[in-house]
Amino acid sequence: MMKVKSLVLAGLLAFAPAMALSSPALAQDNAAAAAAPALATPVDADPRSSDPGAPADSADANVANASAAPAVAPPRMKPTPGIGMPMPGEITLQKQFTDTGETARWLHDKMLLPLITIISLFVLLLMIYVMIRYRRSANPVPSKTAHNTFIEVIWTVVPVLILLAIAVPSIGLLADQYKPAPKDALTVKVTGYQWYWGYEYPDNGIPEYVSNMLPRDKAEANGEPYLLAPDNRLVLPVGRPIKLIITGADVIHSFAVPSLWVKMDAVPGRLNEKSFTIKAPGVYYGQCSELCGARHGFMPIAIEALPAEQFDQWLLSQGGKVGGAAEAKTAAAPVAGSEKI
Amino acid sequence: MATLPPSPFDRDRRNRRTMVTMSIVGLAMLGVGFASVPLYRIFCQTTGFNGTTQRAAAGVQVKEASGHLLSIRFDSNVQPGMPWQFHPETPTQTVTVGAKSMAIFIAKNMSDRPVTGSAAFNVSPSQAGAYFTKIQCFCFTQQTLQPGQEVRMPVLYYVDPKILDDPDNKDTQEITLSYTFYPVEQDRKAS
Amino acid sequence: MTTITADHHGASDHGAHDHHDADHKPAFFQRWFMSTNHKDIGTLYLIFAIIAGIIGGAISGLMRAELAEPGIQYLQAWAQMSDGPSATIDQAYHLWNVLITAHGLIMVFFMVMPAIIGGFGNWFVPIMIGAPDMAFPRMNNISFWLLIPAFALLLGSTFVPGGTGNGAGTGWTVYAPLSTSGSAGPAVDMAILSLHIAGAGSILGAINFITTILNMRAPGMTLHKMPLFVWSVLVTAFLLLLALPVLAAAITMLLTDRNFGTTFYDAAGGGDPELYQHLFWFFGHPEVYIMILPGFGIISQIVSTFSRKPVFGYLGMAYAMVAIGVVGFVVWAHHMFTTGMSVNVKMYFTAATMVIAVPTGIKIFSWIATIWGGSISFKTPMVWALGFIFLFTVGGVTGVVLANGGVDDVLHDTYYVVAHFHYVLSLGAVFSLFAGFYYWFPKMSGRMYSEFLGQLHFWVFFVGVNMLFFPMHFLGLSGMPRRYPDYPEAFAYWNKVATHGYEIMAVGVLIFLVNVFWSLLAGKKAEGNPWGEGATTLEWTLTSPPPFHQFETLPVIEDAAHH
Repeated sequence: MMKVKSLVLAGLLAFAPAMALSSPALAQDNAAAAAAPALATPVDADPRSSDPGAPADSADANVANASAAPAVAPPRMKPTPGIGMPMPGEITLQKQFTDTGETARWLHDKMLLPLITIISLFVLLLMIYVMIRYRRSANPVPSKTAHNTFIEVIWTVVPVLILLAIAVPSIGLLADQYKPAPKDALTVKVTGYQWYWGYEYPDNGIPEYVSNMLPRDKAEANGEPYLLAPDNRLVLPVGRPIKLIITGADVIHSFAVPSLWVKMDAVPGRLNEKSFTIKAPGVYYGQCSELCGARHGFMPIAIEALPAEQFDQWLLSQGGKVGGAAEAKTAAAPVAGSEKI
Repeated sequence: MATLPPSPFDRDRRNRRTMVTMSIVGLAMLGVGFASVPLYRIFCQTTGFNGTTQRAAAGVQVKEASGHLLSIRFDSNVQPGMPWQFHPETPTQTVTVGAKSMAIFIAKNMSDRPVTGSAAFNVSPSQAGAYFTKIQCFCFTQQTLQPGQEVRMPVLYYVDPKILDDPDNKDTQEITLSYTFYPVEQDRKAS
Repeated sequence: MTTITADHHGASDHGAHDHHDADHKPAFFQRWFMSTNHKDIGTLYLIFAIIAGIIGGAISGLMRAELAEPGIQYLQAWAQMSDGPSATIDQAYHLWNVLITAHGLIMVFFMVMPAIIGGFGNWFVPIMIGAPDMAFPRMNNISFWLLIPAFALLLGSTFVPGGTGNGAGTGWTVYAPLSTSGSAGPAVDMAILSLHIAGAGSILGAINFITTILNMRAPGMTLHKMPLFVWSVLVTAFLLLLALPVLAAAITMLLTDRNFGTTFYDAAGGGDPELYQHLFWFFGHPEVYIMILPGFGIISQIVSTFSRKPVFGYLGMAYAMVAIGVVGFVVWAHHMFTTGMSVNVKMYFTAATMVIAVPTGIKIFSWIATIWGGSISFKTPMVWALGFIFLFTVGGVTGVVLANGGVDDVLHDTYYVVAHFHYVLSLGAVFSLFAGFYYWFPKMSGRMYSEFLGQLHFWVFFVGVNMLFFPMHFLGLSGMPRRYPDYPEAFAYWNKVATHGYEIMAVGVLIFLVNVFWSLLAGKKAEGNPWGEGATTLEWTLTSPPPFHQFETLPVIEDAAHH
């Protein structure tokens, strides 16, 4: 049996959250948490917040605990009203911050919405016309026409043409959405739990940390929308392709961020991928979108998109390392790639 | 099919015949519902649908497609509540398409009692599943770990060079192999 | 095509003169509890559906009350009623899931299906094809009485533990693993058994309808002369027969996963939770056509009657329903666009789903063409039918939006979907139910409904449901997920509007109930055919209400001879 060289990832750390749920492992969990100075803002300072029974009780996002960190984390970003979150009285899609989101929003706003409005109004006008023109007082003797092959062909063929016109950009959009992430993508593992999210950066040596909803007072104190704001955000870089690998731990959840056009089910025993590139810094909120039990409505998602340097700074502040994916691959290549059996 | 005025007796016989036929149709659909379990499995295995991987015998010969590199990512999960640590030795490997490679997963029992687990797996992106071929792995075999015991579990695999001819995979840069360990004896029902 | 006229020797005259034989009714208990008469069973189904509809509608009232404003206002108090005074906030949230589950299951399996297939189907399919009764009258009785224990099980499940709190909180889709490892306690088992029993009753009913329509037609009543309502029930019966057994298999495996340690849907044992979704939606998508196709049939009858014109493009209408039924079986995975299916699968389901818009469009335009050139009287049933055509169009076009897999990525499981399916079901199927109810009320009861209350009911209900469901499009577009008991401030405005819409709609339902009771007690006697020359199907050749046994001498259907 050959040896495969061990890599950077401190394996212990990667599995802290799983262990946090079992009492015998708690000691190691705390040790792991202590070993990884992963505790500056915006990551919650208290490892016990991973306890699903106590959501967000310990979150205090405003206080940085940077003492153990080799680098100071960037300050927690303030959300901008109207960006990455719903607006009061809004009647259309949220502003988009990914390419696929913009294409899709264009497809909806410029093509589908006008089309369905026109069709509905057309049907409405036709109905109003026939109701007035053929009311009994205006037309006492009905015609007996029950056929008109020509018109029947028209109203079969025209919808087919309209649908074909929709299908072309729609299929293109689908192909776009499924474009795999390039090699330099940042991989983040997202795990849905009852009822919180876990985020892990396998290539950067950042073990899983969990994200619980902030209670109302804390959210409001932070200037964040209640029910959308979690304690720890998923921190991602701007302008760099991101690949989320998404799974569920217990039941099916769904990782959804409307302003990035992302919605992917987190299915236990199965890994789903979602790739996208965020175009601007900001805080983008989302909510679990598959019924997952009692607190389904109370496991929000927030993505904090940072410019590249700040993101690297954040990685370091969590005890991670920068540019993990590329390094890991270079290191692995000579070993694994040359193995022959 | 013009309807003739049937005698009541005739009509009853025809009704019974229709009822029997329709009952058979209904039962057949019930059968289809249950048969979908093995059919779905076979369908997933042959097409790689849902990221189902392929299996191959140890002596299999494959041609390397030299120069074509793919990144393989290893992902690991443990069902919440199971007192194991489980992780790949390396998060990724870069392999030549067609070359046989080995990955090691490490599992450790963190509790003070023996725990038996069994692993399930899948591959993403799902269209790559049909080309990810495992020669040897630890999936669905039960592993019992004594308290504190750590085992290294190898996975022997290769990526079928046919992947290079598949238009659906032309942009695939990385394949992720994911394992999840579940406890075996424990009642899986939630409390 | 052909209009259907009855031979008057066989039909109405007979019913009127032969009073002794035809109208001999059994005693009360025999008549209503052991009924084998299709009209009595139809009446039972309608009464059942109205009661279930009131319960299901009251549940949605609770939901809209809670959603009227952000924050949890009432849930905790209700949870204390159902889970005891020490109910936790989690139990309150669980109660929310129980409410949405119960609302969905009741409306689908215990309101729309019993009313539209069991009620109107039983009442009018035999009459419209000139048959004396259903093919298997006793089986018909069993079909109805299976509904009662099924409904009792579902209601009972809300009082036993189902995980976090009492009741089944899995959503009407009962997805594994939330419904298996995620919901301990007997509630989900009871809900699943309830579906089994209701499903078994529906399958028996479907076999009965198929047999009746294929074998029991009067002489001359060829398939291509059948009224479109009969066509719609025939297609629906086939959908039931093909789809429900698959659901039965799927939920049986849920039961064994829950109770006997199998792992059909459990990845731990090599199963796959997605398999359940495939099976469920293989049933679930045809199910939505099961609910709406008979509605199409009812609307066709009404539009033709009140325009005094034969249905335009009869064959196209009939085969459009067949086409919708067939295509309905190959589009199921558009309910699963976000489960991580591969791109080719998603493209296929996107394209296949959009195809459904074509036969649906044919139906909409054919209805308008039926009215075109007609001589319209705006009686209550016609007003409901016109409302149906427009609102179904609105619900249909949002379906085209959702069909796009790429767009569904953001709309999936949001209120946009809720708006869409309530437009096609709550404003589609339910409008067709009310239309049919007013259309056939004189025939069924022998009394006229109040035209004023009927029109008032329509306008109040129309305003209410649009105010209730239209803002849900906005909520969905801006990202509000389904099945949430609480929401951020930003969604407050349209939720408030929707709740006011519910209040208006509820007033509409009260008007309806007043109308029903008033008309039954004091409505004026209805003639055999209150609708005049436009009403050409066989039921209008009988007295109102029809004799207990009709068509003891079969009517002969003549070709109206204009092609």
